[in-house]
Amino acid sequence: MTLLELEGVHTYYDESHVLQGVDLAVEEGEIVALVGRNGVGKTTTLRSILQLTPPREGVVRFRGEDVTSEHTHEVADRGVGWVPEERRTFGYLSVEENVRVAVRSDQDFDALREYVFDLFPALERFREKEARNLSGGQQQMLAIARGMVGDNDLLLVDEPSEGLAPMIVDQVVEALREASAETTMILVEQNFPLAMDLADRFYLLDHGTVVESGPTADVSADDERIRRYLSA
Amino acid sequence: MTDSSERPLEVEETNRGTRTDEGWLSEYARDHVVHGLVIVAFLVYPVVYDLLGRSPLASEAAAFLPGLTFMIAVLYLGLFAMSFDFVSGYTGYLSFGHAAFYGTGAYAVVLATNGKIPGVPADTPFVLTMLLGAVLAGVLALAMGAVSFRLTGVYFAMITLGFAQVLYELVRNWGYVSPNPSEGATVDGGALEVGVPYVDSLGLAVGRLTGDSFENVLGTGFDVSATMTSYYALALVVVVCYFSMQRIIHSPFGKAMIAVRENEERAEAVGYDVFRIKMGAFAASAFFAGIAGALFAGYSRSVSPESTYFFLVTADALIVTIVGGIGTLAGPLYGTVFHEWLGDVLSTEDDGIATYLRETVPEGLLTTDVGGVTFADVINSVVDGRAPLYLGIVFVLFVLFVPNGLLGTVRDRLGGTVAERTGDVLERYRR
Repeated sequence: MTLLELEGVHTYYDESHVLQGVDLAVEEGEIVALVGRNGVGKTTTLRSILQLTPPREGVVRFRGEDVTSEHTHEVADRGVGWVPEERRTFGYLSVEENVRVAVRSDQDFDALREYVFDLFPALERFREKEARNLSGGQQQMLAIARGMVGDNDLLLVDEPSEGLAPMIVDQVVEALREASAETTMILVEQNFPLAMDLADRFYLLDHGTVVESGPTADVSADDERIRRYLSA
Repeated sequence: MTDSSERPLEVEETNRGTRTDEGWLSEYARDHVVHGLVIVAFLVYPVVYDLLGRSPLASEAAAFLPGLTFMIAVLYLGLFAMSFDFVSGYTGYLSFGHAAFYGTGAYAVVLATNGKIPGVPADTPFVLTMLLGAVLAGVLALAMGAVSFRLTGVYFAMITLGFAQVLYELVRNWGYVSPNPSEGATVDGGALEVGVPYVDSLGLAVGRLTGDSFENVLGTGFDVSATMTSYYALALVVVVCYFSMQRIIHSPFGKAMIAVRENEERAEAVGYDVFRIKMGAFAASAFFAGIAGALFAGYSRSVSPESTYFFLVTADALIVTIVGGIGTLAGPLYGTVFHEWLGDVLSTEDDGIATYLRETVPEGLLTTDVGGVTFADVINSVVDGRAPLYLGIVFVLFVLFVPNGLLGTVRDRLGGTVAERTGDVLERYRR
């Protein structure tokens, strides 16, 4: 079943025309990677889905319903979670409170907290510490955990490996694999091999439009049609 | 939160997570030891001050310690500053028009007591007029917030300031308030009845001119003056308000307020209607600012546009919040203590440092002329009534060197709130 659809989405930052007619679809249960160079509109696509930067043209449908005119919190309430780039947590809230703010009122916080600490044991000993005091990798895990506990059907993950040491990236990738067992995911990732390794399908963006797409099994970074768009 | 921050945090695992099995009462008590100490300090201060006043150190106490009337000002101005911090420090929206809520609470009490609010009898007890003022302030905040929260940052601060100044001008020229509205209004008639069952029968009343005094309390030879009665009555309200605000901040709603301050987009993306959260926080903070204004009016029995709606009233709250620590709730109270202490000891009235120096420094030294300047001249120009000057200097120094304020810095050092950390230390000693 199609969980999310973008149809002819045009998004602007003031006069800057960033997304120039993006079409994509995400099926339930899959991981879809958005790849491309810096500035082609990957993050803006996620922001458009969440209505953080509402599209001026086009439609965003979640479970078949048009969410284009909704507020961000309404889209989030439908079950769309966000793991923002630069592993942004709520720095002055403790690890536990970061999880708490993402838990919905009808959910069992205690159970979800334990679920998070089972999934990311590294976070448990810092449960009372403010998130700003965690290491980069720990913050990324917390950001992913926050996206996962909100009973989300779709998780938008923005640049999870950015700025992390290789060893930490492995941990984060493992966390994302765990997460993907429970939720559909759109993954924005600069690291092409990593994205291909994690995702089932990919969309390659260039100048605000989708230029290539397909199953990740069929492509490699050496592929000429991919290389053309990824090299600076 | 820099990209290079790969160093795992080395801290001890805390044992707080395992406390749930213990009695909640002992846990609660442990977490509130510091609050208890502060309350005790405020409780005994008037007694200590009174005793010192009768000791050989009387002139030193009068010169270097704030008098009781200044401590009463600490209570209502401190509550006002805490309400300012409640919204400004915890949602990040600087409420530069906060004086409007203080003024609304203050004027509501005076107008209600003078029978000038339709449907509210003139003999309505103070507790009810205080709540009325607070609710009106909350409603005003919802109206102001509906427009102001369309803006952020400095624009939000400016538009709230603009609203407050409009109200200041309105109240200043509103003949209904009093025959001379620019001078303010005064409570007609007698004592303001507190209006709490069983309390009124004790003969207590709010207001320095009418509060009851008690002589030779419990045969101790200690007298409770009318001013002291007001001090304790106001302190009780402030304590209740402080714990109410503290509860809200520790509730899920309070965490959402902090999430909004940290990043509005992220808060919205986890499903919070941030507009509602901001409105709720603004209205709650205005409610407590209204209570503060009502306490001021109940105690002073007169209000003026300058002492309530004027923008400098907000500026004072901002200064003490910066000094005490923004986003700490209790910090602004300590900032207010400092502010009032400075105002008292450097005042031109009889019991300041200037008077003390003039009386204790030998006459010969006072009149010694150095380059045409005597020591008496120095006292007159750098001590006597110079509180605003030093307050300004202290404010600048805090902004530059102690940006987290007194309590914020202490919390950073301790790695948590003072109450929590003290609880942890006590726990360790107990074991």
